[in-house]
Amino acid sequence: MARQTDVLSESRSNEFSLRALINKAGIGLALLALIIFFSVFTEHFLNANNITNILTQITINLILAVGMTFVILIGGIDLSVGSVMAFAAVVAGKAITLPGFGTTEVILLACLAAITAGFVCGLLNGVISSYWALPSFIITLGMLNIARGAALQVSEAQTIYSFPFAFEEFGSAMIYGIPVVFLVALVLVLLAWFILNRTVFGRLLYGIGNNEEAVRLAGHPVFWYKVAAFTICGLTAGIAAIVYMARLNISSPIAGIGFELNAIAAVIIGGTSLSGGRGSVIGTLIGAFIIGVLANGLILIGLSDFMRQMITGVVIIIAVVLDHYRAKFAAK
Amino acid sequence: MAALEQSFRTNTQNSATAPKAEIILAVTNLKKHFGGVKALDGVNFSLKQGEVHALVGENGAGKSTLIKILSGVFPFDAGEIILSGNNYQPRHPQEAKANGVQVVHQEFNLLTHLSVAENISIEAMPKTHFGLLDRKEMNRRARRALDAIGLSDVDVRTTVQNLGIAHRQLVEIARALQSESQILILDEPTATLTERETSRLFKIIEGIKAKGVTVVFVTHHLNEVFATCDRVTVFRNGETIITEKIEDTTPEGVVGHMVGRKLAEEMNNAVPEHTVGSVALKLKDFCIEDNPHNDGISFDLRYGEILGIAGLVGAGRTELLRGIFGIDPVRSGKLERDGQAIEFKAPRDAIASGIGFVTEDRKDEGLILDMPIAANVSLANMASVSSKGLLSFTKERLQARRGGEKLKLKYGKTSDPASSLSGGNQQKVVLAKWLARNPKILILDEPTRGVDVGAKAEIYSILKDLAKEGVALLIVSSEMPELMTLSDRILVLADHQLRGELSRSEFSEEKILQMAYGQTTDTKGIH
Repeated sequence: MARQTDVLSESRSNEFSLRALINKAGIGLALLALIIFFSVFTEHFLNANNITNILTQITINLILAVGMTFVILIGGIDLSVGSVMAFAAVVAGKAITLPGFGTTEVILLACLAAITAGFVCGLLNGVISSYWALPSFIITLGMLNIARGAALQVSEAQTIYSFPFAFEEFGSAMIYGIPVVFLVALVLVLLAWFILNRTVFGRLLYGIGNNEEAVRLAGHPVFWYKVAAFTICGLTAGIAAIVYMARLNISSPIAGIGFELNAIAAVIIGGTSLSGGRGSVIGTLIGAFIIGVLANGLILIGLSDFMRQMITGVVIIIAVVLDHYRAKFAAK
Repeated sequence: MAALEQSFRTNTQNSATAPKAEIILAVTNLKKHFGGVKALDGVNFSLKQGEVHALVGENGAGKSTLIKILSGVFPFDAGEIILSGNNYQPRHPQEAKANGVQVVHQEFNLLTHLSVAENISIEAMPKTHFGLLDRKEMNRRARRALDAIGLSDVDVRTTVQNLGIAHRQLVEIARALQSESQILILDEPTATLTERETSRLFKIIEGIKAKGVTVVFVTHHLNEVFATCDRVTVFRNGETIITEKIEDTTPEGVVGHMVGRKLAEEMNNAVPEHTVGSVALKLKDFCIEDNPHNDGISFDLRYGEILGIAGLVGAGRTELLRGIFGIDPVRSGKLERDGQAIEFKAPRDAIASGIGFVTEDRKDEGLILDMPIAANVSLANMASVSSKGLLSFTKERLQARRGGEKLKLKYGKTSDPASSLSGGNQQKVVLAKWLARNPKILILDEPTRGVDVGAKAEIYSILKDLAKEGVALLIVSSEMPELMTLSDRILVLADHQLRGELSRSEFSEEKILQMAYGQTTDTKGIH
């Protein structure tokens, strides 16, 4: 929130902002601790190459998690993002390998196709779950299957490859050692932050997550806001599909299995409440970093991938337990 | 009737050996408070074995709190309860049940997806030798329990969700009675029953009483008290005022005790000076979807007028307001705004036509507790603190400060969460939210619920000032002194119907209560 100039009840307000600081910084401190730990105990963690690696690895999860943040903030969940990403990738893969068009044309067409596919899936999730007030858990579980089936159907269960060279180049491009695709994700984070914190729409999403009825009775079209949140989540799945294709130079109908769970994990570790109304996309950014840094660092330390997965699980549980206490703390 | 006897065998034996009219429960100077609110402030009453004892009083007089204490839901702070000669201090509902105190609560406690038999046996499911559920025995017990109260037309295997409200109520009574009971407490059992079902219930109560069980009967319908009860205890403001034998009193006498205060003269001095303008909102046969009757409600609300709506809980007051504001669906009838026919499909439409609605429940409907005060104040008025969808925090803060100043809001910073405020100040934030829109009509449902006395007076003066400025106010309140202080006119609702209208010179709590309680059974059969 903006800076305050009120001087009433000075001590209370100081206490409050200190508390807010601990709340906000807590997750960032955890990330910092992880980075220091791995820097000290491994040789290569701080290598430029390794950092580039981490950034590349977290990009897709971060993009999905940004959209997921919108849905979780209104108290929903979207289990379909992994499948929707695969579906969008397959549709875009078909578009990009169309014969008889120029390189620029097929790339634009593919991007448009991926984004449209994500948009439609998200829109359906939102309209169906909001119109009938059904749990988004169930509706998006349905969409998870629909999108996966559609991806397999459209691709005839074949991986699509041989994309234009320019497209592949975009996937591996760097600016000062930072992958361009990561910058795309970062722009999305900033855009989401702006929408959530500076617009009426974003404010009302927080409002809906806290008290949907109060927002409705204040005269706002809650239905459309909820639909919009799911649609944004679908859109980010479409964008993630483009990044996925550019990075791997393939469109696989079995891509993205389980990605929804990683995206949810990033959002939750980032301190957004699963019951909605509380959290931030900056937290999501840090959450995605924590997952990425853990994955990378634990392997550098020499732990197996299985151990890495176990530890990530432990971190998710710790994050939720801490969040429980934080909510109680804040309620006092 | 044989089954009935069987089911109350133990009690019959008790009543055979015990002398008639023995005191089985004595409550002395019972006190209970929730935070700073005194719910019970000196309750004294006693129950004689085998009597039907009515508890009456206005909403919030303390009847429900007493029942919850007797049934072990809440502990009490001070005082004494003696049950059958022993000190009685139930720590949880099971302990109350073990002592033979059974309650059928106002809100249903049935598991709707299970069968009637399963519901009746839920506390002690019969088991076979192998520890499995003995379905046969369970159904047999349920059959016996239902027969005992004359519910032979209900199949015990039916799921509860297939039963009507009245049958559910009777199943609850059957469940309460199948364990051994000394005292059966019925909390507003007739609230949802038709006349025929009510008389059936009364017959059942007669049967229960004949077996020596003491029945405590909480009701809002005085005619029922006089039809079935032996004695009546009147509650007011958390105290018991009097216990009388039914033959020694009259309905008017009971209402007099419920009201107590003689405020009429004082009220007449406080007539607010303001002129009443043209009709702002007109209702013509306005009938909401949930109204059990076909004829709706008609009245005019004028600019500069404070129109109060009185009535008991369940009279359809909140539902009427929600219908007007476009929250709940409307079945028939018309609304006119400034003489123009209009229809509100959603709260948005009502708000666009200059109406604000301060809801009854500020925690669930009025405020976003975890969000800043400023965000709550701007919630209904986003357009004035934003441009092209972008928020201006400066404007928002200013708006909150201005609203806070006007309403004498006591707060730290506008960025503090609304939950940091006291009840009265939270209510002022809700008011500020609507006043930020400069509404032409303001609808308020229980505007001072959970608000302390000081803030109450401030809210009254704010509302009176609004009327002076020409705003039309429509206020629902369960507190009659509140309505009588504020209103220019009072409409009395009962059973979703307009039962009367009082102008300021006619205000008296007796008149309001008589209209609110009066002749409800006449219309009960129409469902």
